[in-house]
Amino acid sequence: MQINMKTKTNMKTNMRTIALLGLTCIAALSSCKKDDDLVTVPQPIANEQEVITTVTLQFTDLAGVQPNVTATFRDPDGDGGLNYDIFDTIRLQNNTVYNASILLLNETVSPADTISNEVLEEDDEHLFCFTPSFANLSIARTDTDGVYEVGLQSQWTVGNVGNGTTQIVLKHQPGIKDGTCAPGETDIDVTFVTEIQ
Amino acid sequence: MQFIVLLIVTLSVSPLIAQDSCSYQLSGYVIDEHDRMPLANSRVYIKEPRRGVFADSMGYFVFPGLCSGTYEFYCKHVGCDAVKKTITIQGNTEGNFYPEHHVDFDAVNVMAAKMNEEVSLATRKLSEKDKNETKGFSLGDGLTRINGVRRLSTGNNISKPVIHGLHSNRILILNNGVRQEGQQWGNEHAPEIDPFIADELAVVKGANGVRYGPDAIGGVVLVNPKELRKTPGIGVELNLVGLSNGLQGNTSATLDGNSSKFPAISWRLQGTFKRGGNAKTPDYYLKNTGLKEYNFSYALAYNKPKYGIDFFYSQFNTDIGIFSAAHIGNLTDLQQAFEAEEPLESAGFTYDIDRPRQHIEHELFKTKGYLRTGKKGKIALTYARQYNKRLEYDKHVPLNDSLANLNLPALQFELTTHTAEIVWEHIRLKSFKGSLGVNGTYQENTYAGRFFIPNFQKIGAGIFWIESWKPKASKLEIESGVRFDNIYQRVYMWKDETIVSPAQNYMNMSGTIGAIYKVNKRLILRSNLGTAWRPPNINELYSNGLHHGAASIEIGDSTLVTEKAVNASASVEYSGKRLSVVLDAYYNVINDFIYLKPTLVTTVTIKGAFPTFAHDQVNAHLRGLDFTLSYALTKEFKVISKASILRALNQTSRQHLVMMPADRFENSLEYNFKDGKKVENAYVSLSVTSVLKQSRVPENSDFVNPPEGYTVLNFAAGIDIPLNANNISLGISANNLLNVRYRDYMNRFRYFANEMGRNISVRATIPFALFTPKSIHN
Repeated sequence: MQINMKTKTNMKTNMRTIALLGLTCIAALSSCKKDDDLVTVPQPIANEQEVITTVTLQFTDLAGVQPNVTATFRDPDGDGGLNYDIFDTIRLQNNTVYNASILLLNETVSPADTISNEVLEEDDEHLFCFTPSFANLSIARTDTDGVYEVGLQSQWTVGNVGNGTTQIVLKHQPGIKDGTCAPGETDIDVTFVTEIQ
Repeated sequence: MQFIVLLIVTLSVSPLIAQDSCSYQLSGYVIDEHDRMPLANSRVYIKEPRRGVFADSMGYFVFPGLCSGTYEFYCKHVGCDAVKKTITIQGNTEGNFYPEHHVDFDAVNVMAAKMNEEVSLATRKLSEKDKNETKGFSLGDGLTRINGVRRLSTGNNISKPVIHGLHSNRILILNNGVRQEGQQWGNEHAPEIDPFIADELAVVKGANGVRYGPDAIGGVVLVNPKELRKTPGIGVELNLVGLSNGLQGNTSATLDGNSSKFPAISWRLQGTFKRGGNAKTPDYYLKNTGLKEYNFSYALAYNKPKYGIDFFYSQFNTDIGIFSAAHIGNLTDLQQAFEAEEPLESAGFTYDIDRPRQHIEHELFKTKGYLRTGKKGKIALTYARQYNKRLEYDKHVPLNDSLANLNLPALQFELTTHTAEIVWEHIRLKSFKGSLGVNGTYQENTYAGRFFIPNFQKIGAGIFWIESWKPKASKLEIESGVRFDNIYQRVYMWKDETIVSPAQNYMNMSGTIGAIYKVNKRLILRSNLGTAWRPPNINELYSNGLHHGAASIEIGDSTLVTEKAVNASASVEYSGKRLSVVLDAYYNVINDFIYLKPTLVTTVTIKGAFPTFAHDQVNAHLRGLDFTLSYALTKEFKVISKASILRALNQTSRQHLVMMPADRFENSLEYNFKDGKKVENAYVSLSVTSVLKQSRVPENSDFVNPPEGYTVLNFAAGIDIPLNANNISLGISANNLLNVRYRDYMNRFRYFANEMGRNISVRATIPFALFTPKSIHN
């Protein structure tokens, strides 16, 4: 290819112009990114996406004889920070069959968000597991997602007087639910002291 | 397209010149004209035919395959002009080169300037070979090639350098001369630097508070981009790297130029793209361990001998998948995870990155100007702004649909830092050479999402003075420095529905004194006594919450005091004809060493009971040595042995410190082929790396015992193909060649999965001239 000297010089100049233009463009395009938040005004605690602060068990006597019972665990600011402020003992009457339903709340927002409704909506991804530490109590899940049980509703068959604990675990099992407690990630794990009177 | 055409044209016209059977060699040293320091990685070459060799880390080179006759040798070192020397070869010949710097101070080459300032501290540079072999890997991985430097990793994508057992806020990373400011306190927060930007990577081992300010307790990592082009023309360097594990691809291109009409103007453009999928252990894929990274930078400089200014801008962006099975809800989940033979979540191969993941952006703008003050000194002014954004996404979206649709990160930090520095340097005046400087920092952090650390402002100021004394012809050089710093920080956080803003002020002196004794050309002794300090970090003061990856509650302590270190170090460097030895020994005493102490109480949360850790201060002693020996068995065969040993004690409780790297040994055998007509620097090497089990851990400090020790086999081979003025460099390496199953104590995901299996990397570095003006300046 034959290029005369003049074209060559022009090419040189062009190269330089292109290079300089390129640099200017990049300099303009890469203008600094900025933090729009004010350091002196921190985000309110409630900006946190979602926490479960409260688990409440609501018991009703199937026979309608014994009074209703509730038991609550509440950690008002979520994990860490302040400790729990309510941690009830479950007190049930002996030789009674209760229906239990579980209410989950996020009380960091006002009004409180009822997380148990969200669990119900995605019941095919969730499972409650109940483990009483003593034989005087047996617990059976009574609701279903269509295939597997869920545990938002359960039946507690109470035997003779005695003391123990009841562990309540909520497993998040998206796409891996198989009816057992093994798979998934633990969202809730609370062990209530349980007294049968 | 033009590039490719040009490349093909260039390839096809490379001249082939026949040569007689010639077997003489030229050997010698490349030495700095002024301070007589060896200049590592200098290139010695001839032009007809075009061939060259690199000097080793001691500046020693051997140029084989010469015929009798007179040659014009050139020697080029970064920051220096090429020097020409005519040598007559009539047998094996010895000859040294003394490349000369442009001016007494090299304003452009920050590394050279900084590295020579505190030479009594061992400064170890990543060799050209190690740099090539670690292309495509992260900065933290690459640095582990330097003996005594290890990594703290979180899975396969996040790795942080550990110098002599210290990391995070206890080491400093100097990116292009600027203190890297990210959220470096987090164990899972890796340095936000594109390794392809780094032409030179070096580690200063030991406390170095005087020159660099607070935090440099364990050492300093120096990351420097390629020097800007000084000869007219436009050059290109393409880097292509493929890794078999995770099918990772890396492309990086650098374009640099210098104007023939305005030789003072130089510029560079650089960009990198990286993408990898799920990594694989010998037996299974690790779910959600892909990554995506795209970075670019530019530099523009106007340099005259008496004054100059340069601009640098870089942007780093990454998306990192976090191994799914490592995200756990509570202690029971953790127990289940590490009892399982294989991770509880399995996966195949995919490039997709799902939750949990991190998205990080880091931006650096820097400008530096210098002015020579008379004949004796130079004043340099540097300003830099950094912006760091870190988004961490939890494994699961919120249950609440409207919240879930926002797809917000669970944690968000934005950190903006401004730094400025004025340094006046003077050349050697009556045996004294030194610098005096002041610097200032202003930093702001904001957060959104889950509370972990509060918003804060930080204002720092420092003043330092360093002098070195060395009479002419003296074998001994003594250097000393002193520094004063003040740091003021104020946090802003909510407490009972009002904003509270407690403030802290820290001030401290640092000092250093050291000596270098050059016994002869082959033997150099160094020793240094230095102090450094760091204020307690924001997370150590104020963090309060559940650490998801670690299944523990961490509680800050706002009454923590400054951490102070006194570090004694000594080095021996011997470089003989066949044997060379480097020994770095250190004893680091750290008072009020901040660490996480397990408390006896557990914290009861809605997710169960968690072990609770509180920040505590003790006196710590860290001592150890790094030993490297290399011996040339024959001209071709070389054995290299490395050992790195560390003992870290909590002097207060007389127990060992937690999370310290175990002893490591590496032995390699290298075969270097004779340079041929068309190939240079061809080699193959096989190395065996053994890491012992970390048996020195405090009791009850961990959920499980440290993993067993392991031995892995690595292979590497490389070749250079000279083409016109450049060398095309090709290489292949295999890490964990035998696909060994193992876990490493310094990997925080050791509870959940094995380390990566075999990983074969193939790489090519292709430099070429895009445009060369007619007259070439030698």
